[in-house]
Amino acid sequence: MTRSLAITLNVLGLYAVALVLTVAFAAQLLLHELPCPLCLLQRLQFAVLAIGPIMNVRWGPRPGHYALSLLAAAAGFAFSTRQVLLHIMPGDAGYGTALLGYHYYTLALIGFAAAIVLISAMLLFDRQFEPEGASKFDAPDLFATVAVWLVIALTALNVLSTLLECGFGACADNPVVYELLKRW
Amino acid sequence: MEFTALFLATVIVMLAAWRGSRPLAMGLFAALLIASVATYLHHATDVLKLSF
Repeated sequence: MTRSLAITLNVLGLYAVALVLTVAFAAQLLLHELPCPLCLLQRLQFAVLAIGPIMNVRWGPRPGHYALSLLAAAAGFAFSTRQVLLHIMPGDAGYGTALLGYHYYTLALIGFAAAIVLISAMLLFDRQFEPEGASKFDAPDLFATVAVWLVIALTALNVLSTLLECGFGACADNPVVYELLKRW
Repeated sequence: MEFTALFLATVIVMLAAWRGSRPLAMGLFAALLIASVATYLHHATDVLKLSF
């Protein structure tokens, strides 16, 4: 795998993270379901997952950058496993609406597992880590730049969303209203 | 409030990764990961309301 192909795959990974964050927002706004603290932590880990690919696009692929994404995916895997186990008892209806037959935290668990496998697969290709030409720096193209700013913008929207939902105190375990919009 | 801070910190790390220096981004990432795991552990120690 060449360096440029690896960067392209990292950019596609950024678009995948942007898609996950967009779907989470769509479910929140269209179904009027506020994310619980554990749900927010999983959403956060999807955003954190994007930091490795951003660094790969900016400085070129390095094993250390993939390690950052692996750490984020492992943490997200643990968080979503915790929530799956909370609702594993027979008769438990689960938290929130099921999407494609699975609750969000189950889909998150599958997503983080897929990320761990895909990032590990990327690390198998050593050629991407070999420098191409002496001190040559390829500026990120428009496709990559849009992907990076899209993920940053969606994460920034989550800053606003969580501020509206939780207010300035601790987030409710089972939120049903936006704390900052209660008076309106 | 802690989640607002965590998402804000993530935006800052992303901006550092995109525009700042590499060591700065790596250091901020470590702090962010520790903070998110600490938040998880804080919530994981909540009493579970089991129904059996």
